[in-house]
Amino acid sequence: MLNNIFLKTLRDQSRSLLMWGTYLVALAVLMALFFPTISHMTAFNQYLSQLPAGMKEMFGSGIVDYTSPTGYFSTELFSMMVPLLLLVFGIGFGANAIAGDEEKGTLGFLLASPLPRWRVVVAKFGVMTLGMVLLGLFFWAGLGITVLAMHINISLLKLAEATLGAGLLALVFGSLSFLSGCIKGNKGMSMGIASGLAVLTYLLNTLGGLVNGLKDYRFLSPFYHYLEPDTLNNGLSPLHILVLSGLIIVFFAFSIPAFVRRDITR
Amino acid sequence: MNKNDIIINTSKLTKYYGKQLGIEDVNLEVKRGEVFGYLGPNGSGKTTTIRVLLDFIRPTRGSAMVFDLEARQSSVEIHRRVGYLNGELALWENMTGEDLLKYLGNLRGGLDWKYVKELAARFQCDLPRRIQGLSLGNKQKLGLLQAFMHKPELLILDEPTNGLDPLMQHQFYDLLTETKKEGRTVFLSSHILPEVEKVCDRVGIIRQGKLVTVETIEKLKSHSVRKLEIHFARTIPKDKFVNVPGVLDIIVQDSSLTCTVVGSLDALVKAAAQFEVINIISHEPALEEIFLTYYNEGINHVK
Repeated sequence: MLNNIFLKTLRDQSRSLLMWGTYLVALAVLMALFFPTISHMTAFNQYLSQLPAGMKEMFGSGIVDYTSPTGYFSTELFSMMVPLLLLVFGIGFGANAIAGDEEKGTLGFLLASPLPRWRVVVAKFGVMTLGMVLLGLFFWAGLGITVLAMHINISLLKLAEATLGAGLLALVFGSLSFLSGCIKGNKGMSMGIASGLAVLTYLLNTLGGLVNGLKDYRFLSPFYHYLEPDTLNNGLSPLHILVLSGLIIVFFAFSIPAFVRRDITR
Repeated sequence: MNKNDIIINTSKLTKYYGKQLGIEDVNLEVKRGEVFGYLGPNGSGKTTTIRVLLDFIRPTRGSAMVFDLEARQSSVEIHRRVGYLNGELALWENMTGEDLLKYLGNLRGGLDWKYVKELAARFQCDLPRRIQGLSLGNKQKLGLLQAFMHKPELLILDEPTNGLDPLMQHQFYDLLTETKKEGRTVFLSSHILPEVEKVCDRVGIIRQGKLVTVETIEKLKSHSVRKLEIHFARTIPKDKFVNVPGVLDIIVQDSSLTCTVVGSLDALVKAAAQFEVINIISHEPALEEIFLTYYNEGINHVK
């Protein structure tokens, strides 16, 4: 695990990945275990249909029928908890990738090695992406196995597609945090910027569904591109996936020159 | 001199951090096989110079060449041939020393592990131990090891003896001597004059971002300044000392004399020998005093 920067970074993250993976699997299993109970409570649907539009919007657009498998998992997992957990992981990793080593003062070892600087960026970004893929797989596998074991009627493919969407959303903010670390080398600042923007764009999307004036700007929010397609019901929407992937690629692409050109003073 | 024998060459090297001066117009020439000391107080621009040489930071203007290669364009090639020790050493605390060296060795495409073990034994490094539990001195030893372990042609060491105990300092000085014998070059920064005097062939003195002078150690010593205190058995006459060459600021109080000596102590010791001497106390000159000499004496007398 000490052969190169990629493997060493992965090694450093292994504990954290295991921890996040466990949380996600536990969350998936617990939520699936609860489903049979919920599915019999038809009164829930009546209650939900009486909620004001704003509240409905907060629960995510997938909520048509809370007692159906897709309605239930959309609301309980994919509209909030799963993207949130992946976001926290992504933003934390992104901030730590370059700025963490820089603040600790260990970046000098990598810079003094006979490797071009861009290789450091690529290796660290690669680990972030791989980490996200692994967490997505953990979660999907945990959820899938439980769903199968309990004979819940939901497509494993749709679950995978929704998980992919959540992973991409998290990577958008993870790579933003990464880019900010490459530009400034300040971990706290990177986390602040990325999580601040996450909250703002989340609100933009949610309020945009309610406030007429904001409606036209919802497309600016990555959350819109994640939530709007209602993946669990409809499957992935290529256009929205393209937007999210495009953002990730742009942030990554800017990270390289930002880091290569900067003075590293610590 | 052959171009290949100039290992480090900077010309009018200048770095501003925004408006704040890092270094200005630094012209350095370090030759193959010498131990070059880069002396200056903290914050004088030593680390800035080093970081430009390694392409960690980019100069505002001027040029920096290492092995006759441009520092920025050829940074990868330069790094391959350089061993570097960071001045404010920080290590990955969750690794063992052995893992650290293996990792950094792998980034260099592999190591002669036998040589690493040899170095570790010399410096009494406890390689299997986690870095987290190591003392400052033991961490510094790991820092030195990773700089020397691939037998680089040039060593760039920023404050290498930080935290080392005297025994290990000597081990390090010996290693420097061997390195020099093998025709390799050492560029080390320090804010401690006696250390530089002990190991370096030539010294560049930097102050407030400007290279004040580059001298051989002999020359530096010849106008080194020392505060001296001599205690005699009896009251002594001041006039016996007033005209001793190189002796300044004489204060005589009953049986004790304090003065400042520039360069050799010989004349003063001979003058004092006329009387019964009980004790001689020498204060190593602070770096600032040396600079004062360069600014006052240096400008008035030498030039």
